[in-house]
Amino acid sequence: MTTEELKTLVVNKSVDARGTACPGPLLAAKKAIAELASGEIMEILSADEGTKKDIPKWANKKGHEYLGTVEESGFFKIFMKKK
Amino acid sequence: MEENKKMCLALFSGSLDKLTAAGVILSGAAADDMDVDIYVLLQAARAFKKEIATNRDELKLAENSHLRKEFLSSLDKLNVKEWHEFFKEAKEVTNVKIHICGLAGKIWGGEKLEDFIDLADDIVGISEYITAAEEADIHLFI
Repeated sequence: MTTEELKTLVVNKSVDARGTACPGPLLAAKKAIAELASGEIMEILSADEGTKKDIPKWANKKGHEYLGTVEESGFFKIFMKKK
Repeated sequence: MEENKKMCLALFSGSLDKLTAAGVILSGAAADDMDVDIYVLLQAARAFKKEIATNRDELKLAENSHLRKEFLSSLDKLNVKEWHEFFKEAKEVTNVKIHICGLAGKIWGGEKLEDFIDLADDIVGISEYITAAEEADIHLFI
């Protein structure tokens, strides 16, 4: 998805993991996605550089769909769709 | 359903830095839905004792011990969990079993399961570890 598409995407759940370093955001994402239904969309907010690679890799491995990442000021949003 | 991958962790070190590293690796395994068996060996068994686990002052650093103060204040500043909190959280998320080596327990005056933090599941002998190591997809010694 393009950045513009991601910015207007309606998410079912938003996880703010900006207060933690790796592996905090990953586990927060793992816990949160369990509460979603198949096809629903989640965004994870993180300021941890490693997480930018970590969560897409994890999402794809678990069969979810990684939709993209949007840079904000001082943090970023990672979007994924539950399988 | 596909069977979960297995991780076997031989946890020898009772140092704060290595226990924290083990906790971070454990979190990754938990996110990946792995089944994890942890065997708590010699020095680590002391760290798992009730009166020791939550007391940072009782645990040394394995490396860069001259930078202890900076290391600990960085962990706090970055909001990194205490080592045992990583273990607790991983247990909540995936199937993690914590086995205390019987000999190691005795060395540090821990004869019974109650002598160790509540996260510990049982006290075992070494053949359990060998079997778990044989069956694991990932095997680590820390």
